[in-house]
Amino acid sequence: MKEHALLHAYQEQPNVWDEMFHAEHIRPEYRSFVSAIENLPHAEMTRKDELAKKLFMSQGITFTVYNSGEGIEKIFPFDIIPRIIQHQEWKHIEAGIKQRLLALNIFLKDIYHQQFIVKDGVIPAALIYSCPQFLREMVNVQVPYDIYTHIAGVDLIRDADGQFYVLEDNLRTPSGVSYMLENRSITSRIFPDLLPKSNVQPVKDYPDLLFRNLLALGNRHVSDPTVVLLSPGIYNSAYFEHTTLARLMGIELVEGRDLIVHNHHVFMKTTKGLRQVDVIYRRVDDEFLDPLVFRPDSALGVPGIYAAYRKGNVAIVNAMGNGVADDKAVYSYVPEMIRYYLNEEPILKTVPTYQMSNPDQRNMVFERMDKMVIKRTNESGGYGMLIGSSATEEQMQAFREAITEDPRSFIAQPIISLSSTPCYINGVLQPRRVDLRPFALYGPGGIDIVPGGLTRVALQEGSLVVNSSQGGGSKDTWVLGE
Amino acid sequence: MLSRVADTIYWLARYMERTQAMLQVIRIYYQASQDSPHDFSWRPVLYSYGHLSAEELAATEGDTARVLAHLILDKHNDASAYNNVLQARENARSAQDHITRDVWQCLNDYYHAIRSEEIAQQIRYGDPMSGIDALMRHGLVFTGAVQNTMPRDEGYGYLTMGRLLERALQTTDILRIRWANNADSMTSGLDAPELRYLLHSLFGHELYLKTYRGNFNPDSVLQFVLHNSHFAHSLSSCLSRLSWYFERLRADSLPESYERLEFMVGRLANHVKYSTVSAAEPEQLNDFLLETRQELLDVAVAFGKYYFGRS
Repeated sequence: MKEHALLHAYQEQPNVWDEMFHAEHIRPEYRSFVSAIENLPHAEMTRKDELAKKLFMSQGITFTVYNSGEGIEKIFPFDIIPRIIQHQEWKHIEAGIKQRLLALNIFLKDIYHQQFIVKDGVIPAALIYSCPQFLREMVNVQVPYDIYTHIAGVDLIRDADGQFYVLEDNLRTPSGVSYMLENRSITSRIFPDLLPKSNVQPVKDYPDLLFRNLLALGNRHVSDPTVVLLSPGIYNSAYFEHTTLARLMGIELVEGRDLIVHNHHVFMKTTKGLRQVDVIYRRVDDEFLDPLVFRPDSALGVPGIYAAYRKGNVAIVNAMGNGVADDKAVYSYVPEMIRYYLNEEPILKTVPTYQMSNPDQRNMVFERMDKMVIKRTNESGGYGMLIGSSATEEQMQAFREAITEDPRSFIAQPIISLSSTPCYINGVLQPRRVDLRPFALYGPGGIDIVPGGLTRVALQEGSLVVNSSQGGGSKDTWVLGE
Repeated sequence: MLSRVADTIYWLARYMERTQAMLQVIRIYYQASQDSPHDFSWRPVLYSYGHLSAEELAATEGDTARVLAHLILDKHNDASAYNNVLQARENARSAQDHITRDVWQCLNDYYHAIRSEEIAQQIRYGDPMSGIDALMRHGLVFTGAVQNTMPRDEGYGYLTMGRLLERALQTTDILRIRWANNADSMTSGLDAPELRYLLHSLFGHELYLKTYRGNFNPDSVLQFVLHNSHFAHSLSSCLSRLSWYFERLRADSLPESYERLEFMVGRLANHVKYSTVSAAEPEQLNDFLLETRQELLDVAVAFGKYYFGRS
């Protein structure tokens, strides 16, 4: 019951699934949390909110926006009310992601080798070959243990019917996991003792699991393979995450200029001369990795690293060429992949996707553009998209022209209304839309998903865009134990 | 350790040491400007920590507040304290996984302080001494954090050697510039204020008073600044500690790199140790200091070449 003033003022929205409330009642997974905060005085909640901000700033959990040559420190906005997922629901999500990842991984292996899925007519060859992220360089390259998707950050959203839908698979270099870890540590500071009392499953194993998987990829006969994290450097917006992960795993954080390829082996330049590198967890995109093979103007990569990889002398995580499975036009075929490779029915739903290269679907979308989201097939981060319900006629016209010119680069999806959850903003609880990004680790021993993830929040009232580059924030995500 | 990381933290230490040294010099010059405004000039400091053209120099030097703002806060002056701190912090950011969280937080605080309106107000319109002192305190906290929290590994070695090398350079430069600008009074020894300013600039005034019981003469000051082993800013003391920390690096070095540097550092330390200079011969002193400076720079270049992968 909404007896307390803080909860009382909260307005549920029609036709939106609310994570905490259901018809004026608090959902069971939130009850323990609500009973802990409902008697707190108003000032105490505000104090906690301020404490959280202070902790982020003083611990330097910031990203830097470079503006006119001068860096400005910003914190990734954090909301103190956690998002809570019950055990059974998590089991469903976990099984769904594992199934998807398994199928996508086989797809990548297949598409870069025999291409059975194309030969059997499940996916049109034109779709694959027209994808700019399909790397011909990766054809017939043997990757260790046949694993391509070591780390995936799968974006899930919940529609008004309460079902989870997969929005993106993020199989290239997904980021945000450091915020999952930091958000949890901040929550434990501002709500002392509440985590163990609420039976929340820990997320702290992530770095150990990742490190174990990385170590397993070293194929040189040494007891202690050298694992490094390759970062584009301090000007990258995710640099904080790179240093955090390197520190938590105790591995060297390198930049492209620290590495050198000699005789198809990768070495790093140390004060004691060259030292061979066995495994690279890279946070540099494919096209920048090797200027000899991909973009020649890249200063972030390492000349010759592709050849060393191809020879099997170094393991690169995630594998190159994963972008083809991330393509939003290929995305709509994932349920087919699951049926084709695994002979199973998909556990998680996918959003209906219209291919703009199909004339019928294109015309249909043009007619009802105000009910559609148009996305570029190869972009992420909330860039290159149009939300029909809030777009002006000029913006729609611009997209129509762009689509007609290059239909393969666009897809359309019906607008899914993201679920909402209460956020503590300006001293009151207000509904804001959220998504969920759990992080899956695929190693030689199988797939592990740390119970939790990054819940991203669209902090603008009514907004459906949760990306941090577009003014989104985040929440701690609790997965309850049995 | 990665060459780039070693290079980064070595320079981090150099920037911080340089900031501390220049702030102290500015502080003492400012005091002098208040004590004896008639025969005072900001020119030597402006030459040392900036690159103004002749016209700009003429326009600036008469206005103490402007001089201070230029030396300390000016974003367009590459040699300003502001830019040193900015650089130090950028370096710390790119080697964040090799320094402790405390060291990073000190630098972060320092950076936010030197950008703050409060310090700028104090330096421009309020009491500049308070502003400078507040900044220098951040420098001291940094040194303390390094001392207390950094593991004594290779990284600490580079951090300390960067600091000592920069300090030796600063001592050499401050001595040379002060001496050259006041050659007459330095030789006669009658005008004690100049010698006092010199000692203050090097943080050595108190120790000098204790050591020589208030007896000011140019030769004693020279001996003190060059050779006193208890004085943390004396040239000999910097160099002997530099050798000590360098020897610790042997296990983490390529043998040929180590030998090359060991020879250079050893030769330099002995060159200073067995030097005979006297206040009566300022030209010989000047030559000696310039030679020392060059050798220090050679050591820095050799570090870059043999340890930091610079070509």
